[in-house]
Amino acid sequence: MNFTAIDWAIVIVYLAASVSVGLIGKRYVGKLSHYLVAGRELGLYLGIATLAATEIGTITFMYNAELGYKYGFAAFAAAMISGIVMIIVGRTGFVISRFRELKLMTVPEYFEIKYSRGLRIVTGFLVALGGILNMGVFLKIEGEFLTIVSGIDTRHIVVVMTIILVLELAYTVLGGMVSVVITDFIQYVLLSVATILVSIYAVYHAGWGNIVNKVTTVMGEGGFNPISNPKFGLIFLIWQVLLWFSVHTCWQTTAMRMFSTKSPETSKRVMTWTGFIFLGRGVLPMLWGIAALTLFGTGALTGGIPAPVVNGHTLAPIDAMPAMLANILGPGIRGIVVAGMLAATMSVNSSYLLGWSAVISQDVIMPIRRALGKGALSSRSQILVNRVANLFVSLFLMFWGLYYTPPGAVYLYLNITGTIFLAGAFVCVIGGLYWRRSNTLGGYLAMLAGAVGAIVPFFFLHWSENVTGFTAFGLAAGGLIIGSLLGRKKPAVSQEPITAD
Amino acid sequence: MNLWLYFWTISLIVAGASFAFITVVVTWKGAHDLREWFSSLNRQNKEK
Repeated sequence: MNFTAIDWAIVIVYLAASVSVGLIGKRYVGKLSHYLVAGRELGLYLGIATLAATEIGTITFMYNAELGYKYGFAAFAAAMISGIVMIIVGRTGFVISRFRELKLMTVPEYFEIKYSRGLRIVTGFLVALGGILNMGVFLKIEGEFLTIVSGIDTRHIVVVMTIILVLELAYTVLGGMVSVVITDFIQYVLLSVATILVSIYAVYHAGWGNIVNKVTTVMGEGGFNPISNPKFGLIFLIWQVLLWFSVHTCWQTTAMRMFSTKSPETSKRVMTWTGFIFLGRGVLPMLWGIAALTLFGTGALTGGIPAPVVNGHTLAPIDAMPAMLANILGPGIRGIVVAGMLAATMSVNSSYLLGWSAVISQDVIMPIRRALGKGALSSRSQILVNRVANLFVSLFLMFWGLYYTPPGAVYLYLNITGTIFLAGAFVCVIGGLYWRRSNTLGGYLAMLAGAVGAIVPFFFLHWSENVTGFTAFGLAAGGLIIGSLLGRKKPAVSQEPITAD
Repeated sequence: MNLWLYFWTISLIVAGASFAFITVVVTWKGAHDLREWFSSLNRQNKEK
């Protein structure tokens, strides 16, 4: 056991405070728009805190550290692209500004305004499928992190995962977005402190000169130059640009933060400033991974990279960073860092639970009810459906997290599962907003071709992530263009804001 | 390789400094946002 009494005390105090504060949120939830989009009243700083906390989790630290361990400084390219693209989206208001004007609650909701109710249901299904598969690996990897750093027996990983999930569920189910935003604010502060502390410790213990030497010795030019690195290359970088444009505009949990801001102008400013945080979100944990390679990369070579060996045990590259933290952090600091990582974990998971269950409820169940001729549910009943969806998503996550191990780097698995809906959704949204000719047939073809283009090549044909990504986006774009040209020209749609709250 | 190393070193400094600076500003001013937001939610609930 690596944890001392003071570490346990810090973690327990954090958990108690976080859950208690989260439960306060329930008293402010009066209607559906409070539950899903925080009453659309978030200001700039709270918006930045909740967006950053939503997209920075232990899973983010783990997969970025894994990339740093395997690919050295060259991995920084992916982090820089994610941040720079976010700044561009924020500055220009590309998609997000128009989305905010429409007063949406979910991304698929736009599909009913522009295309049809049927396409909204199909998109809702694909968004929920891709999102939940994406989130499915979070718990297992977060559990690994916590057991390694704290020293809890790895056989207890299921118990650790269950405790994490139950705590998040407690306030997310009851208070929805209100609770999530309140806890996000506290969690953002704590996870940021932990991120800065770990970065300082990692460089101090590994030594900057040693870090550079290790990458030079193990990887050579490919450890610095992303274009000459065999895993990356120009095609990968172009795909990353495309992928991050789609993530920052159409990813449900990010988009929900944009929908929750006071105004379109606020949403642009939130996105821009969070873009600068995104630079550190990627680069700093990648640095931790490189530090772990420097300190523990002494094992047998796999793909030219030495496996991490910690205290005589050979680990997987993704576990090198938490093992490093267990070794370099002292009592007290270890407690603060684990509390910070728990904060990161809970902020991401609660937001994702809310995001995907909102899609199931608002874009699958509700439209199907209306299609069957049943009347609209009251705001209170819709909140209840959201809560039940939240519970079902949680159960699936437990199951998937226990039995599925992603092949290859986790970052790339997350990219591909996201692409299942992002390819089609991004193409349809761009077409819907900026191409008058786009129509419902084109929308259907884009969503289905994008999903098939992501699932078949990656899961069945085992193509590389780059090729899979381009295939999915290419097929989706082709589907929209061909379908729109072949199908009936749709009469102009007003795309007026939705007023029902 | 040296050029790339310089580039990544500067990127790391910019990223780390931005991360730390924004954390301080958001922590300081976010509390004010939080109070305003609660008032606004209360107002919406009363109007309802």
